[in-house]
Amino acid sequence: MYPGATADRTEANFVVVGAPLDASTTFAPGTRFGPRRIRHFSETFDDYDHRTDRRFTDCSVHDAGDVHAWDAVDEYLEFLEGTLRDVHWDDAVPLLLGGEHTVSAAGAGAVDPDVFVCLDAHLDLRSEYDGNPLSHACVTRRILDPDDYDDAPDIDVQEAIILGARTGSEEEWQWASENDVTVVPPDEAAEFVPQLEDRLEGREAYLSVDIDGADPAYAPGTGTMEPFGLEPRTMRDVVRAVAPYATGFDAVEVNDRDDGQAASLAGKLLREFVFSRVDALE
Amino acid sequence: MAKQQKEVRDLGEGGYVLIDDAACKIDSYSTAKPGKHGSAKARIEARGVFDGKRRSLSQPVDAKIWVPIINRKQGQIVSVDGNDMQVMDLETYETITMRIPEDVDASPDDNIEYLEMEGQRKIV
Repeated sequence: MYPGATADRTEANFVVVGAPLDASTTFAPGTRFGPRRIRHFSETFDDYDHRTDRRFTDCSVHDAGDVHAWDAVDEYLEFLEGTLRDVHWDDAVPLLLGGEHTVSAAGAGAVDPDVFVCLDAHLDLRSEYDGNPLSHACVTRRILDPDDYDDAPDIDVQEAIILGARTGSEEEWQWASENDVTVVPPDEAAEFVPQLEDRLEGREAYLSVDIDGADPAYAPGTGTMEPFGLEPRTMRDVVRAVAPYATGFDAVEVNDRDDGQAASLAGKLLREFVFSRVDALE
Repeated sequence: MAKQQKEVRDLGEGGYVLIDDAACKIDSYSTAKPGKHGSAKARIEARGVFDGKRRSLSQPVDAKIWVPIINRKQGQIVSVDGNDMQVMDLETYETITMRIPEDVDASPDDNIEYLEMEGQRKIV
């Protein structure tokens, strides 16, 4: 169980769902251990949050466990999306623990947001990678461009804001420039935060935290490290700014190849999300 | 209520199921693979036949579940009076009064097909 996620499922405002998918990770695998690692390295965090004067155990979070991942990724995403849609129909916010980034397609599919906000080193706008349209390198494209793939989630996302992106193929950069994608490089992310509020006002967002958005010095436990990344404090500020508008959240691409830095950062950002979201509601 | 018991694994898209005591038509059916230690689980997304409300359920595939028995009937519109119409059942020749749904253009002598369960009816 995620530490402090003590609420009953029927009364919860937030529901943690683990999605240990590890099928298309392109360099170092291990995201199958992500949900377990994030839960484990969240054990040290205090229940009390001084900034918001709240206790995590009072925020009504439930942990529904993991949706065991299997090899047929399209079927898995369909089942996972349904599981998360149940959470959304119960007026709770799903907190998805990856797993590779591909699981965000299920998360976004479940809540059908207006805007997909993402912290990520990579654009993830490829139509396919190594012949696989369900690769983790394609997830933002899957969410934003349903016409590009037959079994894309049946959703209508108007735009994507990718903060911390610093790499992609030439085609991805081109596609981003021609479509409703705002790419905010790591150096500009901190100053972009105040604009997020204006951009999201009156709209529903889905927030996806790909832990490789952080500089690999801070979060080495991830499959495709990319230097010159975000400061954890900037990621925290983004999470705080987006949380009030978010109807879904995920933390993905955490693996077990470090001493817990990546999992700890992911767990802390999840808690920041919960505190900020509850604070905004009341 | 006329109903029969089945296992969750016997259900499928387009079929009927009782969720929260409401008769629902199944829109989507997906199953989770069990791995070594779990049990296969199915998730069903369905819509109330008579109230249109979305419902879902997640159960192991070998769980028992109730399926409502819904009759599909043929009828003929005898007369139309405001929002109501008189319909004659073409099997029993019994005449019943039904509210005209907003999306149906009813006029006398039209043949209609409707679902019936315990006094609830829906035109298809």
